[in-house]
Amino acid sequence: MGTAQFIQNFLNGISIGSVYAIFALGYTLVFSILGIINFAHGAVFTLGAYFTYTLTVGQFGINGLLAGLTIDNHLPFYLAIIIGSTLAGLVGVLLERLAFKPLRSRGGDQLLALVSSLGVALVLVNAIQYLVGAEIYTFPAEVYGTMKPAIMFKVGEQPVVIRTVQVIIFAVCMFVLAILGFLISRTRIGKALQAVAENQATASLLGINVDRIILFTFFLSGFLGGMAGTLVGTSFGIAGPYFGVTYGLKGLAVIVLGGLGSIPGAVLGGMVIGLAEAFVPADYSAYKEAVAFAFLFIILLLRPQGLLGRPMIQKV
Amino acid sequence: MEEFLQNSGFLIVTMVQQSLLAMSLYYPLMAGQLSLASPGFYALGGYTAAIIGTHEFFTPLRESIGWLAFPLEWLVAGVLSAILALIVGIPALRLRGIYLALATIAFVEILRVLCLNLTITGGAIGIFDVPQLFESRWSYIWIFGPLLVMMLFFSYRLEKSRTGRAFQAIREDELAADSMGINPTRYKVLAFVIGAVLAGIVGAMSAPFLNTWNARQGTFDASIAYLAYVLIGGSRSIWGPLLGGAMLSALPEVLRPLKDSRLIINGLVLVFASIYMPKGIAGVISRLKRSLTWKSRKNGGEA
Repeated sequence: MGTAQFIQNFLNGISIGSVYAIFALGYTLVFSILGIINFAHGAVFTLGAYFTYTLTVGQFGINGLLAGLTIDNHLPFYLAIIIGSTLAGLVGVLLERLAFKPLRSRGGDQLLALVSSLGVALVLVNAIQYLVGAEIYTFPAEVYGTMKPAIMFKVGEQPVVIRTVQVIIFAVCMFVLAILGFLISRTRIGKALQAVAENQATASLLGINVDRIILFTFFLSGFLGGMAGTLVGTSFGIAGPYFGVTYGLKGLAVIVLGGLGSIPGAVLGGMVIGLAEAFVPADYSAYKEAVAFAFLFIILLLRPQGLLGRPMIQKV
Repeated sequence: MEEFLQNSGFLIVTMVQQSLLAMSLYYPLMAGQLSLASPGFYALGGYTAAIIGTHEFFTPLRESIGWLAFPLEWLVAGVLSAILALIVGIPALRLRGIYLALATIAFVEILRVLCLNLTITGGAIGIFDVPQLFESRWSYIWIFGPLLVMMLFFSYRLEKSRTGRAFQAIREDELAADSMGINPTRYKVLAFVIGAVLAGIVGAMSAPFLNTWNARQGTFDASIAYLAYVLIGGSRSIWGPLLGGAMLSALPEVLRPLKDSRLIINGLVLVFASIYMPKGIAGVISRLKRSLTWKSRKNGGEA
């Protein structure tokens, strides 16, 4: 592999890796608070992409209930992605209220949370299909304004091509990560979130409204998921209602690799898996989809707590 | 009757088949292990049958033993599943709870990507024209039915045996079981292998039943479907996976008149069932039974 090829793969890797990171953060935030995995996160990712698409493009295909509908009010993309992700965050809140809270208050088996969140995922994905069909929707190139579609430079004799979308995705993700880092470590609500993650009972004794923190966490989680969905959508298009499923599963690999419940771990895990996928040789590109799961399997065998996670304690 | 079997035969056999797959997830759960690996072994079994049934390498074998090729396929699928389950299970079963579930999800996905790309598994297209054991779909009940009865009897015996009690002890408290002289790893691997072998055999029976086999047979969606069967049916009794598998696999068919929205309803059923029936359908039935006997006893006392 030449230097140019190396740089190309590296840049591709950190761009997709940064999306994996913010998507996985949504999983890990909920896990750190409730100790469960929200299997509807992939569906929220999908939903976020559709929300933003509706707000900024608003043109539907020939299938589903909304077939042929065209919305004339187009929001600029930067507004649409914020509102779209916020809506996805609200879906996260709804999810907590409908699928998780009733189970918690009844003291049900934790495994059931898995099934009920999957039930919600099934509802969301099929509701999308019901409304807009299983078509591919693509964002037009203009969503990012009038920029060149790609940047090209040369390393020695070899060209390296970066799509503008990739740069924007990376920049947006870094920006979101910075804000999130500030929110969690520097603000009152962030500290409350950390306290609840550490110990719910103690946190509530200290006067923290645990229920509200849980809702806030689901909002953040949904917001991040929706934003990741939109970013992937602008890069590769929205490949139908099921396009979040693969990302949903890869996100699991990311959080386990980084350490379940660890926020820096989710970022590291996302980058590692993004890079590893980018460096799969072209001859074996068909096996790219298995890379994340190979990582997941191996890390579970060698270091189940993940790269940055705390070791599990066996309690008697 | 003939017409009914023509129309509903496929659905009834599918219900039995799905119940069996739900059971394959129930055995590890008996020992407290949440494994989602069943679709992987199911796919492996199906590919085994499809390859033995169609590959030219096995033509002389097929011609010399005739219909005996089918039981041979089941046997090979069972043995292969057991070997793979040992290879995957021994390291993976050191993990607990959600970690084991995630490891098995990874296993299923890796296997799926492999099957999607290897030549012997027919790549993305899969394997077509798998030889049929019977002429009609309905007749497959004669293999799935006896297997179901056998497994029910086996489970009943297992629960009463030393091994079954060891499973339950590990499920309730692994450390306590360990200190009582039960080797948790051995029993956990055993439970995992039993489930894997069952899933493999069901796969080997299903490839002829479905006529074609491809990588879509062993996916994450299937893992979750089987888990939903067990949890909604009831994970504490062998009747749970049976009821859950039969009812939930029939649900999309029952809801077919609703067309596009049927999967939405299906999802809602999962949400409500997990909230309002935490012990599953089997739990609801045993509660009803208990309250009925309690009432009749009370009435008897008054009389």
